[in-house]
Amino acid sequence: MPFLELDVLNNPNNAILGIDLGTTNSVAAIWQDGRPTVLRPPGQNDGRIPSVLHFPEDGGIVVGRNARALATESPESSLFSVKRLMGRGLEDVRTDLDGIPFEGSETDSGLLQLEIRGKKYSPQELSARILHHVWQVAGAALGELAPLRAVITVPAYFDDAQRQATRDAARLAGLEVARIVNEPTAASLAYGLDQKNDGTVAVYDLGGGTFDVSILSIEEGVFRVLSTSGDTHLGGDDIDQTLVELALSELAGKADEATLADPAFRQGIRLSAEKCKIELSSRPESELHVVAPEHGIAWRRTIRRAELEERIAPLIQRTLDACRRAMADAKLQPSDIDEVVLVGGSTRVPAVRSQVQEFFGREPHTALDPDEVVALGAAVQGHVLSGGTRDMLLLDVTPLSLGIETMGGAVSKVIDRNSPIPTQVTEGYTTYADNQTGIDFNIVQGERELARDCRSLGTMKLSGIPPLPAGMARVAVRFSLDADGVLNVTAKEESTGTEASIDLAPMHGLTDPEVEQMLLDSYDHAQEDFDASRLANLRIEIGTMSRAVSSHLASAIGLDRDTVLDIEEAVAAAEKSATTSDVAAVQAARDELERATLPLAAALMDSVAKRALEGKTLDQV
Amino acid sequence: MEHQHAPGEECPKCWAKVSTPLFCESCKAILPATANPSPFDALGVEPSYPIDAMALRKRLLTLSRQLHPDFHIHADTGTRALAERNTAELNAAFEILSDDFRRADWIVKSLAGPSESDERQMPSEFLAEVMEWNETVEDARDAPADSPARAELDPLATSLEEQRARVMSEISDRLVPLPEAHAPVLREVRRRLNAVRYIDRTLGEIAELRLADASSER
Repeated sequence: MPFLELDVLNNPNNAILGIDLGTTNSVAAIWQDGRPTVLRPPGQNDGRIPSVLHFPEDGGIVVGRNARALATESPESSLFSVKRLMGRGLEDVRTDLDGIPFEGSETDSGLLQLEIRGKKYSPQELSARILHHVWQVAGAALGELAPLRAVITVPAYFDDAQRQATRDAARLAGLEVARIVNEPTAASLAYGLDQKNDGTVAVYDLGGGTFDVSILSIEEGVFRVLSTSGDTHLGGDDIDQTLVELALSELAGKADEATLADPAFRQGIRLSAEKCKIELSSRPESELHVVAPEHGIAWRRTIRRAELEERIAPLIQRTLDACRRAMADAKLQPSDIDEVVLVGGSTRVPAVRSQVQEFFGREPHTALDPDEVVALGAAVQGHVLSGGTRDMLLLDVTPLSLGIETMGGAVSKVIDRNSPIPTQVTEGYTTYADNQTGIDFNIVQGERELARDCRSLGTMKLSGIPPLPAGMARVAVRFSLDADGVLNVTAKEESTGTEASIDLAPMHGLTDPEVEQMLLDSYDHAQEDFDASRLANLRIEIGTMSRAVSSHLASAIGLDRDTVLDIEEAVAAAEKSATTSDVAAVQAARDELERATLPLAAALMDSVAKRALEGKTLDQV
Repeated sequence: MEHQHAPGEECPKCWAKVSTPLFCESCKAILPATANPSPFDALGVEPSYPIDAMALRKRLLTLSRQLHPDFHIHADTGTRALAERNTAELNAAFEILSDDFRRADWIVKSLAGPSESDERQMPSEFLAEVMEWNETVEDARDAPADSPARAELDPLATSLEEQRARVMSEISDRLVPLPEAHAPVLREVRRRLNAVRYIDRTLGEIAELRLADASSER
């Protein structure tokens, strides 16, 4: 009997988007014309979409580039690095919250929430905003509605709660998750497409907030992960933090304590620390500025590259520790590695590159853009999942051991770390008392021997066991990790064949009914939210355009008086309109301003900068 | 109990002989999952203690290319669940067969040999030896990285590796050819497997100490 493959190749409705949901930036990509392509916002060369949220005073949420632009002037209403909060409880993220200008709290079920302008948001809802924006940008790049199915990447070292939180964020954004793929594994797909050589590859992925290392064997198109290790709390943010701490310690005598502890003030320092770090990757020294006129602070300090390298040495050391563990788990020596692939913006730091090179004893492969390679790999996996090819297959592993707490608080391992997924293990349990109808399990993830040192995934209540004398019930509990690395548990009482039911309350997560309720709520407020966000974006665009006009109008050559007057009028009208809340009127004023400034943009392009400015509109100057 | 499509049986869909209860390579049908198939059956290889690691890996890759849920995402819910379930069985089977210890352990269990706890009693000379290892490891743990106590770890690790290889080869001798179910030799194998557990625990502790050393060396 012949095997009929579904003809999905020519059906664009089956296309699957690849999304790298990053701590600092997110990137969307899709398979197009035989290769993965990054979906760049129209008119942009940069495919990175800042994972930044901005909350304007009068409502709405601004996401992405506009939010990033606003964050510099108003850090007190901007939010960075939401990814660090995903699937975590309040206690886990105390230090992260020090740099976040919003109050954190926890619900009774352990769900983290941030209070922003009087409303409480879970990290899942905030990430959903980012995902929705990324989807919109993808649509703008494609010139049509982007696919609603997506492959979303997560750090390989993400635990069950963090994976579930990501899956829920996608659902809240209205996306169907075709597969959760580990970032380094996705990167290896893009690498494999590029190289087409069999061999053993180490992927070193240092992103904005997370670090992963994965060792893979590539054999005839099968990408098999041998081991993975990492740290979900180690990345570029921590490099920035070393400079923030330097600034805070040197500012200690110059500013009062309340200022130094002010999260908005700290966020401002962090932005300038990030800029300084990036400059130090291409220059031997750079300046760290902290300018806060409202606090009477204008501080500058020259930072040498060597100084930064000394401060981040312990961070790089932690990444190499994880590399050693991954190599040991794969039972390999650095000399067994055929290629080292660098992923993540933080691998641009020269000290990171040189130490990785020293560790593996070979020059890393740098032909791929470290910011885009994960999204490209996600698009390749999207292509595989949409039925486009059977030439490639990812066989991934689970990063953490899964166990249950036994009497006395020890952990009985059920699934070992680095087991290939999907996988399953069936364990037998029995009752301790006559007519006992339920058993409680604490399911944990981690490598430590005591349950309290591991991360609890929540307590599982097994009920519906038929009443039998103690020790007579034979309950077979099946623990399975699906291809996304997410745990499912089922149970059956074997002597009677009764299906026991499992109720697993997620730790720091959302239950299915909660996700559904949130989706319903968001439909109710969709128009309101949409208008508020659109208004906020229009105001930002008007602001950007009028600033550009004021800085370029005087110097523009060859504009006649009428044109200048026309521009000035349009600026005044748009700025006035921006103070109102009539979305249609503000949109019209913004469009009018754009039209009026076209001659100015053309005049600027005629000037010296012509070549550099080609293909850009005024607001991108 | 559901009917098992063991190797050599017919596919319920096309009647071809199947090589694994998970999948019919002839008509590409994913077969209804059977509870806990033998890992040898799952991968479709002859039950035997010695194993060709390369051939086993090729079987895993070949079957994964057919069964993996990534290739069945457009199928009906039932088929998708089956693909996920059977791939989980395949992966779990590969993990058992690709590891000498786990493979021997599975064989002893499947032949109704004694369990780990049935043979908990270890000879006193062996336990005395284990206590010596533990002492060496504990002394090294408390000592600074480049001390003589730490240097003791290297010869200990080498001797444990050798001992492990020797015991594993004794196990192999007893499992070739495969014994009958309930055979007394299974008890000898179980005792040796328990000894390997002790060796592996100590080797694991040494590996952890070495990782910690490498980390603090800089």
